[in-house]
Amino acid sequence: MSATSVAAAEQYDYEIIKKFSVMAIVWAVVGMFAGVYIASELAWPWLNFDSPYLSFGRFRPVHTGAVIFGFGGSALFATSYYVVQRTCQTRLFAPGLATFTFWGWQAVIVLAALSYVTGFSQGREYAEMEWPIDLLILVVWVAYMAVFIGTLMQRKQPHIYVANWFYLSFILVTALLHTFNNIAVPVNLFSLKSYSLFSGAQDAMTQWWYGHNAVGFFLTAAFLGMMYYFVPKHAGRPVYSYRLSIVHFWALSFMYMWVGTHHLHWTALPDWASTLGATFSIMLLLPSWGGMINGIMTLSGAWDKLRTDPIMRFMIVALSFYGMSTFEGPLMSLKDVNALSHYTDWTVGHVHSGALGWVAMIAFGSLYHMIPKLWNTQIFSVKLINAHFWLATIGTLLYITAMWISGISQGLMWRAFDDFGNLQYSFVESVAAMHPFYAMRAIGGMFFLTGMLLMAYNVFATIRQGVRDAELAGVRTTVATA
Amino acid sequence: MADNTHSQAQSKGVQTTGHVWDGDLQELNNPLPVWWTYTFYATMVFALVYWIVYPSWPIGKGFLPGMNTVTYVNAEGQEESWHWNTRAKLLFETQDAVKRQKPYYDKVAGLPYDQIAKDPELSSFVVSAGKSVFSENCAACHQAGGQGKVGFFPNLTDDDWLYGGSYEKINQTISKGRRGYMPPFGESLDAAQVDELANYVFSLSGGKADLAKAAKGKELFHSHSGACFYCHSDDAKGRQDIGSANLTDKVWLWADVPGQADDAARIAEIRKVIVSGLNKGVMPAWEGRLNAQQIKLLTVYVHELGGGK
Repeated sequence: MSATSVAAAEQYDYEIIKKFSVMAIVWAVVGMFAGVYIASELAWPWLNFDSPYLSFGRFRPVHTGAVIFGFGGSALFATSYYVVQRTCQTRLFAPGLATFTFWGWQAVIVLAALSYVTGFSQGREYAEMEWPIDLLILVVWVAYMAVFIGTLMQRKQPHIYVANWFYLSFILVTALLHTFNNIAVPVNLFSLKSYSLFSGAQDAMTQWWYGHNAVGFFLTAAFLGMMYYFVPKHAGRPVYSYRLSIVHFWALSFMYMWVGTHHLHWTALPDWASTLGATFSIMLLLPSWGGMINGIMTLSGAWDKLRTDPIMRFMIVALSFYGMSTFEGPLMSLKDVNALSHYTDWTVGHVHSGALGWVAMIAFGSLYHMIPKLWNTQIFSVKLINAHFWLATIGTLLYITAMWISGISQGLMWRAFDDFGNLQYSFVESVAAMHPFYAMRAIGGMFFLTGMLLMAYNVFATIRQGVRDAELAGVRTTVATA
Repeated sequence: MADNTHSQAQSKGVQTTGHVWDGDLQELNNPLPVWWTYTFYATMVFALVYWIVYPSWPIGKGFLPGMNTVTYVNAEGQEESWHWNTRAKLLFETQDAVKRQKPYYDKVAGLPYDQIAKDPELSSFVVSAGKSVFSENCAACHQAGGQGKVGFFPNLTDDDWLYGGSYEKINQTISKGRRGYMPPFGESLDAAQVDELANYVFSLSGGKADLAKAAKGKELFHSHSGACFYCHSDDAKGRQDIGSANLTDKVWLWADVPGQADDAARIAEIRKVIVSGLNKGVMPAWEGRLNAQQIKLLTVYVHELGGGK
């Protein structure tokens, strides 16, 4: 086993993957800490300390930026460079360009966070970066695309493995989304401030076309790519259905593009556009579930691994949360359900059942599988992975349960009329009713963060062990040859 | 490992596609699950029905309007049906709420104030409707329960009224707004005099003040050099026609006396008000923003909140 790994380490470009993996862990810790902090601010507002730099409005994009683009993005760069090399049996195309994507991407995350706390934001959710950072992202992304496509083109395999289709669609679509959502005119060349070229409802529609497809391609398609490599690889079983993978890939890619307008129900958006968003969301349910079925059925015949292998457990629970939140999403996109859920914490809970349950857990499973292989060693502690698994699962459940209760109560309180046809509650009464659930959500986040800290330690110890082993092996070789 | 998976797959009778990646990655040739395929079709049928019910596909400069309709009253007072759309739905829902409230509002408008409170059904309507009008327009300053905020906005739940607690006075306050003002005395009085006055004012509501200072303060209060009695009147109970505060009760609006830990700090709070005066007691006029019925309703609501006179 280790003999083939050593060979693999020489055969493939692992340095860049190691860098991205380490930064994925770092950004996960930073981003999740920021998340716990802002959740606590909502429950215990004195944590603002009356400082503009710590206020929820500025800190929230720091959280989303660090977890989505820092943690999620770095994990995707790492795994895509790993998967594309191993399934194409070739080294990376243009390794210098790949190194540039690493430093460029890290600069983006740091600059974005700094600009948010100092008060610069486009005010577009998940696209808060102002124009100079947007331009940097564009350059990095084109470099990424060149490395990925270049590597695919020099493959030594006749067929392109399914995971790579998903990664490629993620890279292409993200380039498209990022470019069109950030068409803006700077106030002047030396000002960070810019204004969108679109206005009114069109601006909102462009933003949510971006916003939902960032969920669809960055947080779903790309992580399905991760799933399609690491689940069958770790289970040692073939993918359940090749046909299903093709059909759900194309259906998913086609349907996702339409659904962004479901974020804008009951607004100035034309009603016909909102109807189309709702219906394509409904038709997206089964294409989404195709990925879940293919992942879970791949394990059929090896279910015993769930008892013994916490990495496998991470992957399967991730797929279960994926199935649950892709059912919840279409439901919430119906006009009448949305009339209740819109602007409430239900949306926040839904996003986190996807983000914590699916995205983070599939990334944890994949990183636990990949990191020991990168450093040619074994994982430091399986027990710690197990503890991480339970902390993450309990944290996610606490979080989404709190947000379900609080979101649905909000929705019901806002629309409650009494016998005389008057509104029953004032807004501030609904805020007061949310307090216990905000505290519960913050505690859920603390569970999740604690698990993440265990992972960081476990990964650190694994890497240290890998480096020491390599040094010892080096000494032995020198002694032997001497 | 590759051989192992291959043979397992074969033993179930399902072939792989024959491709192998990265040593052992393969794909089985399983067909699409039947339930998956049919549920996928079912979602398409659902979408089709939704397109027929609601406005959907854009065609040329228009769009398919859908079969669902909403009926509402247009600007000319005529009933009108329109294809389902959020604007018509909002009109319908607003009109429906107004229709349900109208008989009660009409009764409130037609009855004298004291009769409204005596009618149990009407007074529960006032509590319900008054609460939503209050929450939307008044609570931002006077807080959700009307308890106000010391140093900023008067408490409406006690029986202390700056401008009078009768129905008529409350109605006037809401309609026309109020502007509370007290001139600053920091330049016309020296620090010792301010301290003496503060001790006197503190003693008026039963505070443990320095008696010697309070006695001097009392003299100043009633003299023409201090001139406090001009506005706060001889008995220091204030004058509701100009909104000057009653200094003999324990209700404090501007000086945060209840929020202080000890008497020295409480007196210091009073000193601050004497030195700087007040120029921020502004309540906006609601006439024109709320209609006469809503103001009448609010009047009864606020009257019932505290001890209306």
